[in-house]
Amino acid sequence: MATYIIRRLIWGVFMLAIVSVITFAIFFLVPRLAGATSESLATRYVGRTASAEQVKVAAEKLGFNDPLVVQYGRFAKGLVAGAEYDYGPGVEHCPAPCFGYSFLTRLPVWPDLLNRLPVTISLSLGAAVIWLIGGVATGVISALRRGSFFDRAAMTIALGGVSLPIFFTGIVSLVVFSYGRPFALAAPGGSFTPFFDNPVMWAYNLTLPWITLAFLYAAGYARLTRSGMLETMNEDYIRTARAKGLAERTVVFKHGLRGALTPILTIFGLDLGLLMGGAVLTESTFSLPGIGKYAIDAITNQDLPKVMGVTLVAAFFVVLANLVVDLLYAVVDPRVRLT
Amino acid sequence: MMRKTTLGVTAMGAVLALALAACGGGPTATPSQSGAAPAGGGAKAAFNAALTQVYNPSDKKGGIMKFANAGDWDSLDPADTYYGYSWNFIRLYGRALVMFKPAPGKESSELVPDLAETLGVPSDDAKTWTYKLRAGVKFEDGTPITSKDVKYGVMRSFDKEVFPDGYTYFNDTLDWPKDYKGPYKSKGVNVDSAISTPDDQTIVFHLKQPYSGFDYFAQLPATIPVPEAKDTGAKYREHVISSGPYKFDKNDIGKGFNLVRNDQWDPATDPNRKALPDGYDVRTNVNADDIDNRVLSGDLHVDIAGTGAQPATLGRVLTDPNLKANTDNPTITRLWYTSINGNVKPLDNLDCRKAVEYAADKVAYQTAYGGEFSGGQIATSLLPPGIPGHADINPYPSGPDNHGDVTKAKEHLTACGQPNGFETNISYRAERPKEKATAEALQQSLAKVGIKLTLKPFPQADYFALYAGKPGYAKDNKLGLAINGWGADWPDGYGFLQQIVDSRVIRETGGSSNISVRDPEVDKLLDQASLETDTAKREPIWAQIDQKVMDNAFILPGLWAKSLLLRGKGVTNVFVSDATGMYDYLNMGLE
Amino acid sequence: MTAPLDVSGTELEAAPEAVLEGSRAKAIQGRSLGQIAWMRLKRDKVALTGAGIVIFLILVAAFAPLIVGWLGHPPTDFNQDLISSETMAPKDGTAISWEHPFGVEPVNGRDIFSRIIYGARISLLIAFLATLLSVVLGTTLGIMAGYFGGWVDSVISKTMDVFLAFPLLVFAIALAGIVPDSAFGLSGDALRVSLLVFIIGFFNWPYIGRIMRGQTLSLREREFVDAARSLGARGPYIIFREMLPNLVAPILVYATLLIPTNIVFEAALSFLGVGVRPPTPTWGGMLSDAVRFYTIPHFMFFPGMAIFITVLAFNLLGDGLRDALDPRAR
Repeated sequence: MATYIIRRLIWGVFMLAIVSVITFAIFFLVPRLAGATSESLATRYVGRTASAEQVKVAAEKLGFNDPLVVQYGRFAKGLVAGAEYDYGPGVEHCPAPCFGYSFLTRLPVWPDLLNRLPVTISLSLGAAVIWLIGGVATGVISALRRGSFFDRAAMTIALGGVSLPIFFTGIVSLVVFSYGRPFALAAPGGSFTPFFDNPVMWAYNLTLPWITLAFLYAAGYARLTRSGMLETMNEDYIRTARAKGLAERTVVFKHGLRGALTPILTIFGLDLGLLMGGAVLTESTFSLPGIGKYAIDAITNQDLPKVMGVTLVAAFFVVLANLVVDLLYAVVDPRVRLT
Repeated sequence: MMRKTTLGVTAMGAVLALALAACGGGPTATPSQSGAAPAGGGAKAAFNAALTQVYNPSDKKGGIMKFANAGDWDSLDPADTYYGYSWNFIRLYGRALVMFKPAPGKESSELVPDLAETLGVPSDDAKTWTYKLRAGVKFEDGTPITSKDVKYGVMRSFDKEVFPDGYTYFNDTLDWPKDYKGPYKSKGVNVDSAISTPDDQTIVFHLKQPYSGFDYFAQLPATIPVPEAKDTGAKYREHVISSGPYKFDKNDIGKGFNLVRNDQWDPATDPNRKALPDGYDVRTNVNADDIDNRVLSGDLHVDIAGTGAQPATLGRVLTDPNLKANTDNPTITRLWYTSINGNVKPLDNLDCRKAVEYAADKVAYQTAYGGEFSGGQIATSLLPPGIPGHADINPYPSGPDNHGDVTKAKEHLTACGQPNGFETNISYRAERPKEKATAEALQQSLAKVGIKLTLKPFPQADYFALYAGKPGYAKDNKLGLAINGWGADWPDGYGFLQQIVDSRVIRETGGSSNISVRDPEVDKLLDQASLETDTAKREPIWAQIDQKVMDNAFILPGLWAKSLLLRGKGVTNVFVSDATGMYDYLNMGLE
Repeated sequence: MTAPLDVSGTELEAAPEAVLEGSRAKAIQGRSLGQIAWMRLKRDKVALTGAGIVIFLILVAAFAPLIVGWLGHPPTDFNQDLISSETMAPKDGTAISWEHPFGVEPVNGRDIFSRIIYGARISLLIAFLATLLSVVLGTTLGIMAGYFGGWVDSVISKTMDVFLAFPLLVFAIALAGIVPDSAFGLSGDALRVSLLVFIIGFFNWPYIGRIMRGQTLSLREREFVDAARSLGARGPYIIFREMLPNLVAPILVYATLLIPTNIVFEAALSFLGVGVRPPTPTWGGMLSDAVRFYTIPHFMFFPGMAIFITVLAFNLLGDGLRDALDPRAR
């Protein structure tokens, strides 16, 4: 088990490294392919009224003249060993992991990311709890009462749910439930309150994004749970369990649900990992200042250090989720052997 | 939780008040509303009530004012910030030498001393300007403010690598030592040739050339004192040391900040500030529609950006007389326009440029920017009506109903040798839906005379530096037209015109707002005006320049901007300042 | 293993298993897979409805110029006489009439109906081409990984892992955002469409690739492949003549289920302002314009419903196909 985890960890780190290399290369190469020079890249960061001389100095200072490998090396070194940074009156040490300093605001990227993480985590975790409970419960009931009115209604809504993009449902729910009319229920829009400041306001501000996001996923999970349950309930071991004379409740919840839930667990882990790395559309629809919104802003301003930081954080969550899911799988499903 | 409850109660109260007003019916509604205002309240809730007078005047102290900003603050650092709303707000925590008078209407364009005792005293033919500081002014930590702190503030603003956002008026006009790079890189260099401080209360600015309007420079945030010992360069924005009535409590860049009272601020040294609220709570990056709705519901007091209501809000506010009564509709000293680039063929021909001027549908231009209330008034030349020296001219009448004059346009196309029209590109800032709509509108109206436009969106951050504002790029990529806009840094002909019509600000490396005006005669007129110390002689020159640029058809004027401002509920001392075109944030209070 | 957007991606997960079962069923019943599937599909009214809508949408997209020409309101033409100059909204609220069945847009008064029709072109074109790209890449690499095994398999599998670790949407926005207006010898709509097809297609292939790899792995061990091999058949013959025909069913199912994901993806990119450039109408672009005018509900309703109905139709059809190919799902 220990060797397995270590091997997976090493592979995870390796994967992050590859992701960082590719991201860096693309952001380095594409603008240059399109005709940008190190001076034209630097122009953006010295203000509109800079002289050619100033631009040149800035390009040198930001290291835009160095070849790709050197620039990447500097970035990687900052991540591992920290970096020095000139903020005007003096030089400051930026401790590892140093994602560098925003080209535009001259502020370090890492604290900014940490600052935004709670928003994205609150959003994803809250929505995840809702969709997991809602989706699985709906799926189980539908499967057990196959063909009933509930089943049909639930599956119709679920099919609709997976076909609705969040940026549509999000706006509609904002217009209907917020923005003062017709049913003002929630206060969305940049008004994130940290949990530890005020848990009630925290939940109040996030209610609408949670429900909108959860609806989307719940629909998919309900469909999955239902088909998983139907399949599992046909399995031999369920028949055996029934034949043994176990109560139907025990059969359904102890044996059936367990078999159906295993694949859902996998998907759940990965979905959550992906969301934690930035629920881009949800955050931008609801103006939540999370990782996803940060990513959009960074991209709009073409602020490479920020883009690198946000991509790596997002990739980190995906890799982490993969790892956790694999480990959980081993716990839930005794057939999986970790070697 | 407490706060939420209070809010709920306030909101309920407001709803009740509205309901009562509605029950009372038309005529009685008005008295009941004015009855709600404190005794001595002058203005009633009416459309444009805060435009020329103080709405809901009061001296009541207390309360926390809540502001929100749809975008990110460019910077809170006085050396770096370059947004009108930020200059408006910065006076709460910083005192520059001079400020615009916090008063409604025309008076707001007058300069009054702030940190200085009087306006600048010119000598040596306006090449040297001297200011005496008020006695007894202190930083938030109790240290007395001296002229050296003001000097240091201006010096640090010199370094555009550390503070890329700011203006360069001081860099360009003061007599700095050769190769000076600012206090960080040129440590210990004596800059007395540019700024000298004979004693702790006196600061003297030395200009390279005489300039009659130096007081306008002295109101810039860069003259806000900064204690050298507390300066952290690019990081100073995280905690600016206050010299005004409020200081920073919590500052979470990207999310918002709080201001609390600065107990070191002495009202005796400050005739301009009332300092009514106990503090300010400012949120940034808030959904713009949410801001409007919360201002309307009373949950927020001010949309700090001051650029007016969102399009969705317009439909709601303008159709409801009760809501409309709580709005103001100022005209701003800002021109929305389109640059016509004479470097791009066939627009190098004057007649082809004139064809564009005639063919443009001005009403479509106006609608694209938001209509007559939130877009603006159709512009017929450059200088907005609010700028002294403005003269009413209309060299290219756009047909009887302003939808464009196809006949005239075709005449000029023929004269230009392109009777069937021509093809060119139009650039705009991708992040600005109004510019997109304008580009689409021009595409439509110019197509009527055969001028085919292709839309070219570019990222806002690089629009001037790399694309439309970079002469080489614009020429190579045939950006014949470029959507543009310009607001005066201060309401004066020089502040408005110089950056957009002086051909000498255009540089091959890009970055200037002037994309198209290249006329040596215009440059000459500008020089003539900036040397002219007699206002009465200076102002007609602005009109002359305006006429000249229009004659050469380098600029297609679109609109003189207007905005529909939402008056917050329960806010006192509300009035629009002509200098900024938005509510004056300095002396607002709460009922 | 998860879909790219913060839209639920569980569709694709549902079922490597199920389709595998489908091909096994064929062996038991000894009838052509196509026949069985068609029989089942014919009985599935829901799936047929989906198929009907899909065909209708394709026709609409293909004949967009004809339909719009007959109505007489090109998608980029302004009708500002219908717009209030105060609020910028249509004068009577929506301007819905026989002239403008879906009303007009605020500000410029463009006809929403014809913009929706033209939007279908961009949406379907990009979704189809991107799906094609993913399927070709995914199938080729998936089969190679599954068939050859060994180091080929591990290189391809690890590559897929890396792809799946990319924050896809962030990356797509970034890439679509930094490519300038003319590049790689293309410009205008042609460039944007190719770019979007590339981005969406290129980053989605691992989903198909994984499934194909799994399928190939199991097919490789089957008797008929063994038989062919013992008769002296070589790699290419086995892949193209023995395996590919057996993979057509799952490819079809996953392609059908990938299309709606791609439609949403394209809409998301347009919504975020990095899609096809204006004034070319796109559904996502219309929605993002509509957000600013949320007090004019018909403006967001039509593009939103267009996306919804299209995605739903493809999902219905994909579900039906999967069920038809999988006897145990019902």
